Amino acid sequence: MSQSDEETEDQHIWRVLSEAGLVEIRLEEFAERIKDVKHIVTVRLRELLNFNTDLQERESAAYSLGTLKGLELKLLANAPKPPDPSDL
Amino acid sequence: MQSTAKQLRSEANWPPEEGEVISFKSSTGSEIGILNEVHWGLVWRDFILEDGRVIPEHRISGCPQPKVWRKMNEVTDREREECEERLLSMAAAGMDPHKRDQPFWAELNQYLAYTYLRFKQAGRKVQDTER
Repeated sequence: MSQSDEETEDQHIWRVLSEAGLVEIRLEEFAERIKDVKHIVTVRLRELLNFNTDLQERESAAYSLGTLKGLELKLLANAPKPPDPSDL
Repeated sequence: MQSTAKQLRSEANWPPEEGEVISFKSSTGSEIGILNEVHWGLVWRDFILEDGRVIPEHRISGCPQPKVWRKMNEVTDREREECEERLLSMAAAGMDPHKRDQPFWAELNQYLAYTYLRFKQAGRKVQDTER
């Protein structure tokens, strides 16, 4: 029996989220994690556009992608600026 | 610490009740706080303390194993949309998600975990059916 056969669904979710670094996101890794999740949504949206006629799921994926991009932009805009070398 | 706070919970009673003193892991070690409310997020339960901090269930001492997660299909479209609206509002208001255990940090954490699971699993199901 393989490791995945022995896993319960709850254990599987824990492992997937842990491996993706999403159970407890480190403060300095938010931007990177948003980028990772955006990539997953983009891949799925591409699949939906190519093979799936479920308009609602497509719209939902597109909206989630928009939310992630919006959050990313706001976080980047609000991020503390590094010190200007000329001020040092 | 409030004198009315109940004492630390016993293993048999989970989740703890409002007003109980709970112990949890933090970045600096172990801390305690008074529980104000427990609510389900998109993936896991959050324990909201009286001082406003939001602690995910898996960091609370005595959290039963295996950990319990919400099924993706239990989350309604409306619930997800409301979460997205709250996150964008918090970001637009200039709130900082880099403040650990604060509401924006907690909600963004759950939203990213939920969105990852949702689309990762959906993509995997497509691959499985294509085999």
